[in-house]
Amino acid sequence: MQKFFSSRKLVIVIVCLIISFGLMTVSVAIRNKRSTPPMIQQFGNDIVGFADRVVAVPMNGVQHGFVSVKNLLNTYQENQRLKSKVDLLAQTQVKDQTLERENKQLKRQLNVGSTLTGYEKINAAVITRTPSSWASQVIINKGQAAGVKKDMPVIAGPGLIGTIAEVNKTNSKVVLVSNTAENSNRFAIQIVGSDSKVVNGIITSYDSQSNRIVMGNITSKAKLAKGDRVSTSGLGGTIPKGIYVGTVSKIAEDDYGLAKKVYIKPAANLNDIEVVSVAVRE
Amino acid sequence: MKRKVPIAIIFVVGQFLAFFMDGSISQILSGTLFKYPNTMVPCLTMMWLILAAFFGNSKKLHLSAWAAIIGFIFDMYYTGILGVYVFIFPLVVYLCQVIYQQLPPSFMSGFLVYFLGITVLVTLGFVANAFIGQASTSVSQFLVNTLAPTLALNLVFLAILYFPIETLYRTHRR
Repeated sequence: MQKFFSSRKLVIVIVCLIISFGLMTVSVAIRNKRSTPPMIQQFGNDIVGFADRVVAVPMNGVQHGFVSVKNLLNTYQENQRLKSKVDLLAQTQVKDQTLERENKQLKRQLNVGSTLTGYEKINAAVITRTPSSWASQVIINKGQAAGVKKDMPVIAGPGLIGTIAEVNKTNSKVVLVSNTAENSNRFAIQIVGSDSKVVNGIITSYDSQSNRIVMGNITSKAKLAKGDRVSTSGLGGTIPKGIYVGTVSKIAEDDYGLAKKVYIKPAANLNDIEVVSVAVRE
Repeated sequence: MKRKVPIAIIFVVGQFLAFFMDGSISQILSGTLFKYPNTMVPCLTMMWLILAAFFGNSKKLHLSAWAAIIGFIFDMYYTGILGVYVFIFPLVVYLCQVIYQQLPPSFMSGFLVYFLGITVLVTLGFVANAFIGQASTSVSQFLVNTLAPTLALNLVFLAILYFPIETLYRTHRR
């Protein structure tokens, strides 16, 4: 033990600790403030990203094989279920088209150009996921070169899954809503209640025990019910309005009994993401 | 006879392969590995490094340097927070090496040292992330929901890959 903690080693350990804390603080600060990481880091990430595709592409291919076999087995049941929904969908689609056209005409008449709802999509594939318990992050194969910017919302399948946290030239990191870090998850969202009153708020945390997004600090008296739909409100920043987030699953009082806390079931499956779209506000 | 590929090159290539496999496995099996409330994290990179410390010549392989390099790339590419694994990786490798040298070389002692190594790795990772506010779970939740499943998963990986990797190093030592 004498040898193990010789003074030279002790000095090395302390220096390492100081450098470690310094680097950690700096990178957290950079992550929170700057739109892109430093040039060197970006360059490194791009190179590693390219190398990763060599491994990730065959691995994802194997997974596709398994998934397609599984899908084949499930097809019959799914077909039955979906048939019943098709008629409804066609009806909604037609209605949607008509409404969109009407909306455009009305906007033109009112001289309103772009509103909060308009957004375009950049489609991207997921390369890999961070192997860590503390960062729910995936890495996608589109970056600055494709027009991705920090804090843009990311959609997979039916709804919102997270935001862009770091942008490199050819890849970027997406922090999922299931991330429990204190400084993530600040989306402006709204719930339209049954009496068509709107409740605005932000996502304050994530309950990993039950897989629910938590919307806190609601003082509105509007009545909310289980199953009400939640979407982004488009207030504040780069997130467009009307991206589906999920449905209300539970309404509870907060710790002090003054405000309400709403638990939201996310629409997208956060643990099965292959293809995503980054929403760019027009 | 065919000329053998030097073990140093196999080591480096295998290390990067293990590094990318970590991410790919997390992505492909994310439905199982990150099922609420448990999280299992594959640490193949760490396993490759620890087994190299067991069987290989760590001086010739420049093991600590490579552990630091891969730790830095891990920080940069996967988490985006520098200064965490760049120090934890070499530390764990060093610890495992020191302890393993005290024990008789067998599968069981390798298993035990690996168990300790992964525990130190995951715990230090938790401490570092708690320090910067990334991890917000309590210690008891961490032990039950993260450490235990992660250990289980990685010991299974070790049991599968221990003998193939041992054979690889043994054939190259001759």
